[in-house]
Amino acid sequence: CSPYQKLLKSTNVNEKYEAAVKYYEKGDYFKAAGLLEPLIPLLKGRPESEKAEFYFAQSNFHEGNYTLSAYYFQTFAETYPSSPYAEEALFMHAKSLFRDSPEYELDQTNTVTAIESIQQFLNRFPESKFRPETENMSNELQKKLERKAFESARLYYLVRYNQSAVVAFNTFQQQYPASLYGEQAAFLKLESQRNLAAESVEEKQRERYLETIAFYQNFVDTYPQSKNLKTAEKYYDEARQFLKDHPDEVAKNPQAQNN
Amino acid sequence: QGQQGASQEPPRYEIGGINVTGTRYLDPNTMIGLTGLKVGDKISIPGDDLGRAIRKLWDQGILGDVNVVIDRFEGQRVFLTFDVKERPRLSKIYFTNISKTQADELRNKVKIVRGKVVTDALLNNTRQAVRKFYTDKGFMNVKVGITQEPDSSLPNSVELVVDVRKGDKVRISDISFVGNEAISDGKLKGKMKKTKEKKAYKFLNSGKFQRADFEADKEKILDFYNAQGYRDAIITSDSLITVQDEYSYRWIGTENGKFGIHKATVREADKLVLRVYLDEGPKYYFRNITWSGNYLYDSKTLSSVLGIKEGSVYSKETLDKRLNYNPTGQDVTSLYMNDGYLFFSIDPVETRVEGDSIDIEMRLSEGVQARIKDINIAGNTKTSDHVIRRELRTLPGDKFNRELLIRSQREISSLGYFDPEKVGLNPVPNPADGTVDINYTVSEKPSDQITLSGGWGGYAGFIGTVGLVFNNFSLRKASDFHNWRPVPGGDGQRLGLNIQANGLQYQSYSFSFTEPWLGGRKPNSFSVSLNKSIQRTSTTGSVLDIKNGSYIKVNSATVSLGRRLRWPDDYFTLSNSLSYSQYKLKDYPYFANFSTGNANNITFNTTLARNSTDNPTFTRRGSALSLSVNLTPPYSIFKGAHPGVNEWVEFHKWMFDASWFTPLVGKLVLNTRAHFGFIGRYNHSRAYGPFERFKLGGAGLGFGGASNFVIGTEYVGLRGYEDPNAQFAIPTARQGESGGIAYNKYVMELRYPVSLNPAATVYVLSFAEAGNAFDKYSDYNPYKLYRSAGVGARVFMAAFGLLGFDFGYGFDNVAPVAGAKQDKSQFHFIIGQQIR
Repeated sequence: CSPYQKLLKSTNVNEKYEAAVKYYEKGDYFKAAGLLEPLIPLLKGRPESEKAEFYFAQSNFHEGNYTLSAYYFQTFAETYPSSPYAEEALFMHAKSLFRDSPEYELDQTNTVTAIESIQQFLNRFPESKFRPETENMSNELQKKLERKAFESARLYYLVRYNQSAVVAFNTFQQQYPASLYGEQAAFLKLESQRNLAAESVEEKQRERYLETIAFYQNFVDTYPQSKNLKTAEKYYDEARQFLKDHPDEVAKNPQAQNN
Repeated sequence: QGQQGASQEPPRYEIGGINVTGTRYLDPNTMIGLTGLKVGDKISIPGDDLGRAIRKLWDQGILGDVNVVIDRFEGQRVFLTFDVKERPRLSKIYFTNISKTQADELRNKVKIVRGKVVTDALLNNTRQAVRKFYTDKGFMNVKVGITQEPDSSLPNSVELVVDVRKGDKVRISDISFVGNEAISDGKLKGKMKKTKEKKAYKFLNSGKFQRADFEADKEKILDFYNAQGYRDAIITSDSLITVQDEYSYRWIGTENGKFGIHKATVREADKLVLRVYLDEGPKYYFRNITWSGNYLYDSKTLSSVLGIKEGSVYSKETLDKRLNYNPTGQDVTSLYMNDGYLFFSIDPVETRVEGDSIDIEMRLSEGVQARIKDINIAGNTKTSDHVIRRELRTLPGDKFNRELLIRSQREISSLGYFDPEKVGLNPVPNPADGTVDINYTVSEKPSDQITLSGGWGGYAGFIGTVGLVFNNFSLRKASDFHNWRPVPGGDGQRLGLNIQANGLQYQSYSFSFTEPWLGGRKPNSFSVSLNKSIQRTSTTGSVLDIKNGSYIKVNSATVSLGRRLRWPDDYFTLSNSLSYSQYKLKDYPYFANFSTGNANNITFNTTLARNSTDNPTFTRRGSALSLSVNLTPPYSIFKGAHPGVNEWVEFHKWMFDASWFTPLVGKLVLNTRAHFGFIGRYNHSRAYGPFERFKLGGAGLGFGGASNFVIGTEYVGLRGYEDPNAQFAIPTARQGESGGIAYNKYVMELRYPVSLNPAATVYVLSFAEAGNAFDKYSDYNPYKLYRSAGVGARVFMAAFGLLGFDFGYGFDNVAPVAGAKQDKSQFHFIIGQQIR
């Protein structure tokens, strides 16, 4: 039996607590958490319990159990609002959620929760020394949501559902007007619209090429430095050529009547 | 002292000091910390600050009582005392008079946290939880006693001893109905799903009585009445009586030292007699159905879609079905909803009731056509968005269409990565701009399969298998070490590895990889597979001589490309593959006319398939059809005297498989299948080769149950008969026969699901099938079949795939010599999904 195994089985609360703190300070978070978990209900109401609960949450964080650590940091902050660890606990709660946020291709419910927690932390401790790190985390999470929305729209472009791609990029532009992916979105929207126009039945082509021109104008106004400018210009020329070759019958007819 | 604040605001004081009294084991300073208050804080009195502090202390669950007392005010400062009462804490809980398993189960149910204070509420909740646990099991007379005993090892702690006296199980012995004239007792009993009589022969019914279930069953009875036109039917009351049966008997013998005839009475356990009183009311019929608010379709069209004729029995159920959702046919709502009218609503109003006739006016509100704006997916914690999104039929910019929404649900289910019973569809309309967002929710389930098995494979002796199938693999993520937990996944690729061996005698290695959307642009699947297998047989019979014995070695590689078609409809897929196999044989006994030498086989395969089944694990409806053609190059046409018949194998092979699923009654599903296969030759001067021929029998796994055990032959199951190459196999499948060049097989199977839990889907089945293989076209006769029937069960577990057994009885004689005794009853193990 190793000393750790003996401690685990021990019923001596004080001895266990001392050992857990020692393991924690040595950086052996796995063993610290193992000892602290059964101890916490027994320490309730004793002065040691504050430190024990904080260390337990920290150990879980260091062990990578972010879902658990997020929960324990929050409980800690609610139980000991006047503790010197309270601010750090709330910060660590947000940080745990941040670490727990999955990649952009997966369900982002946790990311949204993390952003909310970060906002709550910043509202409560506007002067916190953790502020810069917290803001970085928030930005990173925001970018992740942007990327998810962008990639979702891009999928329709990839699978050549041109009309859906245009609708999805439009929604994306409305939702994230100042996104990093804004330029790409605007260009792909233009390209999708042009593909849609080119593949359309004749009676719809004119209207769709007109829309292509509108998208192009918007694109060059917003991103005059874009590296996709050449290709975009090609689509513009193509649309203009089409409109020249297929003058608007409806527009011409009333004129003929007038003359 | 003057108050600065406005007169209606409570005055605020600074805390001058906090004192805690009444603590015995707890630390007063920690108590103060737990209140959340500290000296110097400003609080309102009266106000909710003190209340919150008490609640915080209370929430710790370690105190029996908390009071706060204001000691005194000193100017703007207030001095507080918290008076607490400690109560013993719970250190352990024991159960007596019940089994250990039930005690463990109870411990989870009562959810008692050690370290909590023992309060009356805690004791009460525990008692209730234990009582409910047993009454749910039918022990209506359970008695629960709780005593507290001090824990000697921990100060201020007690142990709870929960004493349980279960008593006898009480079951329903009799159910009867009073007031039913049109519908019999038996029929009504059948409508109750959970409340049943306990009968000796109904071993699946426990006969338990549970109020909540009974209430639900009463609703079912009323639903049934309503569906028969008895719209006014009500259950007036019910009664539940406990009775005890007594019976007397006599015997001749000694009792109390006296010899003679004695009488004794035996009391049986309590029984319940349930009586349901009901009033049926009259039977109603539909009369005039009129429509209002309809602009898009005229009343005549709507009436014909509704399909309810004047004079037919009034049924709310039928009406709802025809109006709102009819899984098997048309309904009024889908007429609108499949065309974007998401805001469509319909309200059937009974305008007149005369005698037993009812007039109905359908009030419609057609609304505007909604277009889809955003598609959101949630719940995918492993599978990437694009894997799901690319399968969806609801597209941004399209008109809302309910049928496509349901089709999308089917597509998500058939991926196999999510619990098919939990695919959520939630259209969220944005009335402001006439659009709709669609939110899909999924719930991941394990989709990888691991096979680690060792077993006696009959003929081959011990065979060990290691098989890994990752159905949701990601090659893209494989380069990052962090994703190997345990394997990178989420991109919908399939990776399979399989090793099967029993030492030198038999070895098989296979590897396969499939990307379902090659290039990410179109659902064109691409797959590569490699196989290597060796089988040796000792000619002397001794395993030691196996190295010098006969063998067959096969190496093969296949590349295939599949794509989904949009025409004739989008359930069709077309796949093409090219494969090369090399066979090396030495004294191999299983092919007629070919035992030693090398053979090469280049085959081009094209398969056209249509699959519209609704769920891959337990299919309820839909069909699967497949036509496949295998072609080798026609060498002998180019070069008549092509060296060696088998050196470059040549043949063409046609296979057709069809499977239909039809829901019958309730959960019962009928599966009807037909399978055909034919092998042809290009050059009539050459004989049919030994490869790829058909052998029917057993579970379709080849001889001894080992899959692909004898290589280069197509095995098709035929239950009720022995595996191919066995002594009593059907004629063309016997050892030494090369197998048929044509076969057909017909199956009818009735399936009934026992559990649809995705962790383990279980169903039972009964089947009747018939099939035969023919080694000459001149013998081909689709009516000369070997017939069988039987029963079986299947279990689908995500981690192991499909496992099952069938018990079949073969009706036809297959004895190799007249008079040999054939065992007509056959038992088959089934591993994996069988297509044929």
